[in-house]
Amino acid sequence: MILQARGLVRSYGATPALRGVTLGLAEGEILAVTGPSGCGKSTLIHCLAGILRPDAGEVLYLGQRVDTLSEAARSKLRRGAFGVLFQFGQLVAELTAAENVALPLMLAGTGRREARTAALSWLERLGVAELADQRPGEVSGGQQQRVALARALVTEPRVLFADEPTGALDTLAGEQVLGHLVRLAREQGTTVVLVTHEPRIAGYADRELTLRDGVIDATGMGLTDKAVGA
Amino acid sequence: MRPSAAVRLALAGTRTDALRVVLTTASGALATVVLLLAVTVLAIPTPGKPGDTSSDSWSRQYRLELLVEPGLRPGVVIALVLLAVPVLVLAGQCGRLGAPARDRRLAAIRMAGATPRQTAMLAATETGVATALGALLGLAGYLAGRVLLHRPDAEGRLLLPTDVPPPWPGIGVVCVGLPLLAMAVTVVLLRRVSFTPFGVVRRTRTRAPRPWPVVLVVAGFGLISLLQPLARWADRRHWTLPVPLFPILLFVAVLLAAVGVVVGTGSVSHAAGRILHRFARRPAALLAARRLMADPWSGSRTFAVLLVCVLFGAGAAAVRAWFASDFATSEEASRWMARAQGQPYVPRDTSFYFDSMDLVNGVVGVATALAAAGMLVAIVEGIVSRRRAYASLVATGVPRGTLARAILWQTFAPVVPAVLVALVAGAALPRGIAGESRAGGGSTQYCVGDWDLCQDPNSPNLRTLEVPTFAHTIPVPFADLAVVGVGALAAVLLVVGAGLLVLRSATSVDELRSA
Repeated sequence: MILQARGLVRSYGATPALRGVTLGLAEGEILAVTGPSGCGKSTLIHCLAGILRPDAGEVLYLGQRVDTLSEAARSKLRRGAFGVLFQFGQLVAELTAAENVALPLMLAGTGRREARTAALSWLERLGVAELADQRPGEVSGGQQQRVALARALVTEPRVLFADEPTGALDTLAGEQVLGHLVRLAREQGTTVVLVTHEPRIAGYADRELTLRDGVIDATGMGLTDKAVGA
Repeated sequence: MRPSAAVRLALAGTRTDALRVVLTTASGALATVVLLLAVTVLAIPTPGKPGDTSSDSWSRQYRLELLVEPGLRPGVVIALVLLAVPVLVLAGQCGRLGAPARDRRLAAIRMAGATPRQTAMLAATETGVATALGALLGLAGYLAGRVLLHRPDAEGRLLLPTDVPPPWPGIGVVCVGLPLLAMAVTVVLLRRVSFTPFGVVRRTRTRAPRPWPVVLVVAGFGLISLLQPLARWADRRHWTLPVPLFPILLFVAVLLAAVGVVVGTGSVSHAAGRILHRFARRPAALLAARRLMADPWSGSRTFAVLLVCVLFGAGAAAVRAWFASDFATSEEASRWMARAQGQPYVPRDTSFYFDSMDLVNGVVGVATALAAAGMLVAIVEGIVSRRRAYASLVATGVPRGTLARAILWQTFAPVVPAVLVALVAGAALPRGIAGESRAGGGSTQYCVGDWDLCQDPNSPNLRTLEVPTFAHTIPVPFADLAVVGVGALAAVLLVVGAGLLVLRSATSVDELRSA
């Protein structure tokens, strides 16, 4: 298992979001987390990615606890081993597409020129090389998500967390982004945790896990024993 | 919409809205007190005949010499009016507090059927009502202060003109004019804002700022550099130039330079962003550079008033150096003449001039503190309004330290060169009038013995003394300028440090959930 969660509990004030979630992911696996609004999908992905600390339970990456790491160590993990892709808003409005993609590499200490070269290569792979010097506000939503995907993958993470990556896109643009995401993940052997509320999107995954009221819905469609028995 | 409904809707809101109203009210009250003081100084009656500038026209009931001489009072009034400017700018910055929540409220009011004009008026009404309340509080505070501070000393002299009631027309102009001015400014600031039922859209300027403000600064310097040649030219032709000409030209020159420096902050920010972008190797510098280039106006607005304070502070330092050099040179000449005439030298009391400069420095200090408070509000508002973008960056692994450094870069990259320009401009303006102190020169007659012995022009006791010219270049007050510059930068550092305290809460993961 590359990533495991054991008995994750997380509340917002008196409102429980996760109530003892346990799961595991094999290397290179694509897992879709589905469920209705407010069921805890985003909280789960935030806990797995080390963005949030669970109130109880543990998250392990390659057998090492993630939830007990310091803020700085978790940040380092997210800009190296983990990639994160949100629904919208993660690109820096003032930076060009190439600079946005180069940012994680520069944060890791890569020189600006080398980082730009790598960024251009990723934009090329995602079919948006011509947008390298455009700002996010100057391109379409689908193109923005492809740039965001390039940024999430530029450090060649071992796990990619995608939280409703097509939620703000039309069907065609959404299909294109997911097509790229799955293709590149397969090519690189990247493990993917994909949060979505659309069953159609979940069809791209190897497995589907349904959350309901903060717990894994054992009666949910597409749930496998592998998902609950981690 | 009825006025009562407009006021109710304008003042409805959250705790942040209440804080904004309270800060606007407090700023309005402070500005009212300052302006009423200016009105009162203008109303001090001048004894003696109109136009008399002798000591008969002095108001000796005051301790402060700047209030005693009628000729010095316009300077006090100008200083007080200038002091009101940063207070009003602070009020303007406070108006940006909680802007996202207010925008949502105004959008909801639009959705409920209000027209864009009505919605804009609601925003302006909030400012107007808060400022009117502040004006009333300021008036009450001023009237109470008059009574409390009316304490003549042992010689019957007063610290402030508490013996003069502010004239009613003046009170009316300040207390009615200030809220109207605040509303007008709000309407002007909202000219790039569209109120739609789905939100408030701000049209930002995308083109790079033009460098034309440099022309204003150059024109200011040009005008100043013309003053000395103009005086010499008129002197050669034995022409008497109108008395107010030089003060007016000086005022216009300072105004041109000040407006150029203030309006030019957008260009400075953009240029600083471009240079920083060229040399940026780390993410923080890159983020700051791109932000400065994308919107040089928002950042520059925050430190424009600070630059005016630096300009005046540097100017005051240069004038102090000028005074010191002039007094030292004339003292040197006077000592020489006293020694040549065999008379004791009586030093001149110059404390008035330096006390006045201390007062100017005090005003500049207070204005700097107010400008810094305005910057703090702007920085906090800037962080809060970008909290989702910051939270996303933190979630993707960008350390908060990188964001903090980006904000530091974004603030200091334009501030440092702009402060240097303001320092140079402020220090250079007085030097345009006088670069050298001169005393002595020519000949003078003196009497050996009692003056009665010298009534006859051919008296042997009457001697002619050829006085050498004593001239010294006025030194550049590097130490004072360093204090002004470093003080301004320290204030900015303090303000950014305080503003960064909200970065942690603004980058909380909860912000990702409140899209």
